[in-house]
Amino acid sequence: MKSGVKSQKSEGYPKRSLIFWGRRVGRFIFLQVLTLTLFFSFIGVSHAYNRIVVLYAAASPVLKELKAGDKVVGVTRTDRTFDNVTRVGSHLRPNIELLKALKPDLIVAGSKRAFPESFSKELKVDVFYFDPRTLDEILVKIKKLGDLLDRKKEATTLVHRLKEKLSEIKPLNKRPTVIYEISARPLKVAGSRSIITSIIERAGGINLVTVKKKHVLISPEKVIKLAPEIYIYQVGPMNKNPEHPKKREFFRSLKSRVIRVDEYEFARPGINAFDAVLELNRIFSEIE
Amino acid sequence: MKRKSEVRSRRSEFYGSGIAVSLLAVLLVVVSIVAVMKGAVKIDFFGMSEIEREILFYVRVPRVFMAGLVGSALAFSGVLFQYVMKNPLADSFTTGVSASSAMGAVIAIMLGLGVVIPLFALAGGIIGLIAVYKIASVRGRVQPITMLLAGIVISTFSSATISFMKFLSDDAVSSIIFWLMGGFQSASVKKVAILGFVIALSYLMIRRDYLSLDIICFDDTTAVSSGVSVERLRRKAFFVAALLTAFSVGYAGIIGFVGLIVPHIIRLLRFVKASELIPLSLLGGAFFMILNDLIARTILAEGQELPVGIITSSVGGVFFLYLLIKRKKELYYFD
Repeated sequence: MKSGVKSQKSEGYPKRSLIFWGRRVGRFIFLQVLTLTLFFSFIGVSHAYNRIVVLYAAASPVLKELKAGDKVVGVTRTDRTFDNVTRVGSHLRPNIELLKALKPDLIVAGSKRAFPESFSKELKVDVFYFDPRTLDEILVKIKKLGDLLDRKKEATTLVHRLKEKLSEIKPLNKRPTVIYEISARPLKVAGSRSIITSIIERAGGINLVTVKKKHVLISPEKVIKLAPEIYIYQVGPMNKNPEHPKKREFFRSLKSRVIRVDEYEFARPGINAFDAVLELNRIFSEIE
Repeated sequence: MKRKSEVRSRRSEFYGSGIAVSLLAVLLVVVSIVAVMKGAVKIDFFGMSEIEREILFYVRVPRVFMAGLVGSALAFSGVLFQYVMKNPLADSFTTGVSASSAMGAVIAIMLGLGVVIPLFALAGGIIGLIAVYKIASVRGRVQPITMLLAGIVISTFSSATISFMKFLSDDAVSSIIFWLMGGFQSASVKKVAILGFVIALSYLMIRRDYLSLDIICFDDTTAVSSGVSVERLRRKAFFVAALLTAFSVGYAGIIGFVGLIVPHIIRLLRFVKASELIPLSLLGGAFFMILNDLIARTILAEGQELPVGIITSSVGGVFFLYLLIKRKKELYYFD
């Protein structure tokens, strides 16, 4: 036996075991797979998302500014940013059949409550949640969207432009106290987790309602007691044709200066929020 | 001898209901005082500032009155619906009036006509009432059981319409939902005066028919032979109950269980005649609602409120469960 082995080695053809060859083949396949994965993932980052459905109207103007409008294939029925795209229902109840038919590779949704992760698993599609609560978070989300859509340059430009806008804010001698009405019936006001609080603060004011909620169902007597210098009431789908606050009997003692604003301009966490800051800052300056 | 005992029994009944009315009136006054004293803002009653005075007289006091009146109206309507349907579980929900009034109010919210919500609620309630009456009447006669079924149909249809309108107005959906949960935030002296007038008018309209209402609890033949115009009385009671419900929904949204729970408690205390049941339900409804509203507006910190419908439904649900478990035998006995 021993002599046999020696003779083979001496011929220069050592006998390899099955395990040895198995390992070599395995290593080769692993390296190939790794190389291909890295290659396709690189390709994927730059060209991954070409069919986008936007289920949160506030995100549409951002996509338009990022020059990714041609990638948008579906929006909600109230979203008028893009023409000639499919309307897929409402942001809370999108039509799943329509969504499937559009074969999106990315869905931009407002929150996990509006579009749960289970939906994305069912549709086998990636979801980007556009749910900023502050102006800074809006900028972060814009950058993230820019990365995802290979629009880094456009995102940087947009962020820079929005920051420039904020630099136009005029400093105030005294910060006015504010309460922002979301709806009159029932009386709901903006809480500290609303984008509106961020807008008010950047504009130089103070939101007197500090409850850690987006919207707060509040007692009218609390509003009177807080005695804001400025009472802002929005008009829009959430507050259709509200009565002027001073005409409401329970607000007859409200001494605040009342300002009416457009819900679409103030209560949506998108690009518009930066214009809202300037508008509010202008009002604060005039009052001062 | 027999006559003497009858007189004695009537006297004790009279005194019994008199004592109950007095007790409930005292309780109502006490809870009203507490409700006026407590709220989102602490008021110094011995040295009120101008703002505190305004809050007290134009926010809190109208609200307490409004809660009391809506409670009375809902309890009163519940009693009347139970007489009309000959069913102790009937109320503004089972008869469809509540849902059709809410449908009218939601249409007003959708159209952005917030100021005229009560009018739309009233119109919705009356349409619901007419529909129920038309569906349930056969050759001019109305069968209570058919009326109950028609009420369920109208209620289901109205609820479906409300859901459809919520679907159509995604952005306003939370406002609609919160409004439907009920509350007294928009109470005013004017609304208090109107609702007070409606309740007083309804009470005066029904007051003469106490005995007839008791008689229609028996079968129709007995009632007719006793000289009661059954159809006319049912129509009148149904209209009054629907009117009370529509005004309540228009001013405060849907507040459940009051029309069911308050008359039940009064009956449990052995006051079953209309002459006892209606006045006690009016007082009991007011007491129950003021207490619930007090909880709704003081339970959370920083001036936050809970919709009062959540409290009434929770309290009502637990109490009803208790009734079902505790009085199971008696309920089966009545079956």
